[in-house]
Amino acid sequence: MKFKKLLATALSLAMVATTLTACGSDDSSSSKAGSEAESGTSGEHVTLQVLTHRTDIIESGLLDELTDEFEKANNCTIEYVGYTDYANDVATRLSTEDYGDVLMIPDSVKLSDLGNFFAPFGSYDEYKELYQCADSKMFDNTVYGLPTALNVAGGILYNKQVFADAGITELPRTPDEFIGCLEAIRDNCEGVIPYYTNYKDASWTITQWQGLVVSASGNPSYEIDLLTEKGDLFDADVNGYYTVYKMLFDIFSDPTLIEADPATTDWEACKPAFGEGKIGCMVLGSWAVGQFQEAAGDNAANVGFMPMPNEIDGKINAQISADYCMGVNKHSDNVELAQKFVKWYVGESGLQVKENVIPALIGADYPEFMDAFNDVNLFVATTAPAELTGVFNTIDKDSEVGTWDGDTANFKIKLAEAAFAGEGEEAFNKIIEEVNSKWAATRDTVLAD
Amino acid sequence: MQKKKRSFWQWLKTYEGQKILTTILFLLVPVTCLILFTVIPAGNMVLFSFQERDRYGLDAKWVGLENYKTVFSNPDYFMTFKNSIYYLIGSFAQQALALLLASILCSKIKLRNFFKGVLFFPYMMNGVAVSLIFMRFFALGDGIVTQTGTVNTILQQLGMDPVKFLSDPSIANYCLVFISIWRYIGFDIVMYIGAIQSISSDIYEAADLDGANGWQRFRYIVFPSIKPIISLQLILAIKGAVSVFEIPYIITEGKFGTSTFVIKTHETGMVFQKVGLASAMAVVLLIIIIIVTLIQKHFFKESDEDKPSKKKKAQNGEVA
Repeated sequence: MKFKKLLATALSLAMVATTLTACGSDDSSSSKAGSEAESGTSGEHVTLQVLTHRTDIIESGLLDELTDEFEKANNCTIEYVGYTDYANDVATRLSTEDYGDVLMIPDSVKLSDLGNFFAPFGSYDEYKELYQCADSKMFDNTVYGLPTALNVAGGILYNKQVFADAGITELPRTPDEFIGCLEAIRDNCEGVIPYYTNYKDASWTITQWQGLVVSASGNPSYEIDLLTEKGDLFDADVNGYYTVYKMLFDIFSDPTLIEADPATTDWEACKPAFGEGKIGCMVLGSWAVGQFQEAAGDNAANVGFMPMPNEIDGKINAQISADYCMGVNKHSDNVELAQKFVKWYVGESGLQVKENVIPALIGADYPEFMDAFNDVNLFVATTAPAELTGVFNTIDKDSEVGTWDGDTANFKIKLAEAAFAGEGEEAFNKIIEEVNSKWAATRDTVLAD
Repeated sequence: MQKKKRSFWQWLKTYEGQKILTTILFLLVPVTCLILFTVIPAGNMVLFSFQERDRYGLDAKWVGLENYKTVFSNPDYFMTFKNSIYYLIGSFAQQALALLLASILCSKIKLRNFFKGVLFFPYMMNGVAVSLIFMRFFALGDGIVTQTGTVNTILQQLGMDPVKFLSDPSIANYCLVFISIWRYIGFDIVMYIGAIQSISSDIYEAADLDGANGWQRFRYIVFPSIKPIISLQLILAIKGAVSVFEIPYIITEGKFGTSTFVIKTHETGMVFQKVGLASAMAVVLLIIIIIVTLIQKHFFKESDEDKPSKKKKAQNGEVA
């Protein structure tokens, strides 16, 4: 009897314990690069811990393979720790002093707080000669992190074969020309959807259009000017928001240019379909190029990427921006070696070439898909002056305009659905007026504070 | 009355002590979970609703009733309740249909256990699975990347024009309500069957002798007996209608005019990081449900309280 009672107590306690421990999920995967045997050879042998969001290349072994070279040259072991929910998990670790030696700097760290967490690399004047976008994680002219890669903020993925079949020989240079291309595809190619909206997953797919906005403006300080000059967000006379979303509205308004039912699109199925030449174009960032090439298999060469077609003074513009930046924990025991590692990872590791992304190192070769950007004016958005740092974002969230969001009350969703319903110009103007007034009201209160 | 001094351990070995000890041990797990996952978060939510705070809770500010004022004064928030009306009307239809099916299943028809199983099955299915099934069911597709869905294939076979079930704002809500009825009706049927079968067969026999027809039997025997169950079901229906989330969130993401109050709450908290405001919205939802429950209590007070007392009297009478 006594045994049974004890057993019952133990069981119930165990159940409580398991219920509680089940809450903490262990979704971090770590891998040790380099063999343990090596560590005995020298007294100075050190281990660097690197926190990263790239669980995919940890699992595929690509990182370890590339890192061998660095480990041998510097007599150290690099231990990668991957997080699937990087931004949230690392934000928690940042509240302690133990957050690895090298880590991707999460965007939730305010620029003014960088010095509290990360060891400085040096002055911006020195680093701007070496790396593009070196000011991404900079405060007070001091650089705290280097970009692991660059992205073309927004562009249009197109199928080269479909464009050729439709008789298009030159890439479009204005929104109207782009719509003309879609019409040519509709008229000349049987069984091809000219523009695929991916609207079922609109909560993120429609936000891809936002990536075109600064490119369309051709103005590196476009978003700062919106704050200082206090113009309307949507202004028919200024290139930017109006240009991009008018193009969206015009395309979505014509049911012959898009798929039959925007509520039943399929993101995963659209990747191979794109490779097979069943889709003409999609608005996506340069990050998507690799994925679509992979899904296209033998047709990978057909995956093309073009900038936002909006010619200003005879020039097409495209904004490039930094991917995650890598920084060094200021509490690390080996700051110098860790910084050496960051420079190696960003510049010499060969990872950028393997992955077909744009390297930040000045002088490094651009990937092949960027050939379409040869005569494009690539620019980096101007860093906001200290007093306006983060202000655009604050206005954006407070007003619930959500320039980068795809919530159900978002202006992009409203525009798309008005277009699907064929409500025409009037509806477009009504929606943008509403956004303008919401934005202006919040901007005035935020700037007044 | 004997009084003996016993130590705590001795007391624990008595029947009384064993009863309490077992109760505590059995309650330990559920109560811990309840406190940890329901009581504490709900308490925090009420606190947060008086604050202006972001997702990380950095520099939370006390703002008093400001969040509640926003919820009620800004139509962007409160007007999302309008879609609940679709679900509310739908759930009344659902109750009527469930009652009808339950009555049929209680009569002596063939294969009735099989039909019970078929009708109850959707309730056991996961909401995500149900949503995926109906996405296929209602899809229009483009014939190039995505396939034409079930209903539209049939319509086309019959020579009719295909319908944009999910992307036409004027019908999307009806489709979603239909899915919700399909999913939850099994539970209602089982509740009604349980209630109907608990009616003593003596009463039916007496009614037969008096020459009651089917409708009269339902109106004067079945309906009064299952009134408490109907009232409970109506409360659950209203509660369900104001807090719809899963099905529209997965199938349409709340697009095409199918957003609901809970989807809006989710977006306010997660997309715009206004956790204080989102908490206030959740508290408003809670209060609405409490009010509905109180109205129901008041409304059905008589019938609820009458019954047990009458039964008791009857039993006492028998004993006497």
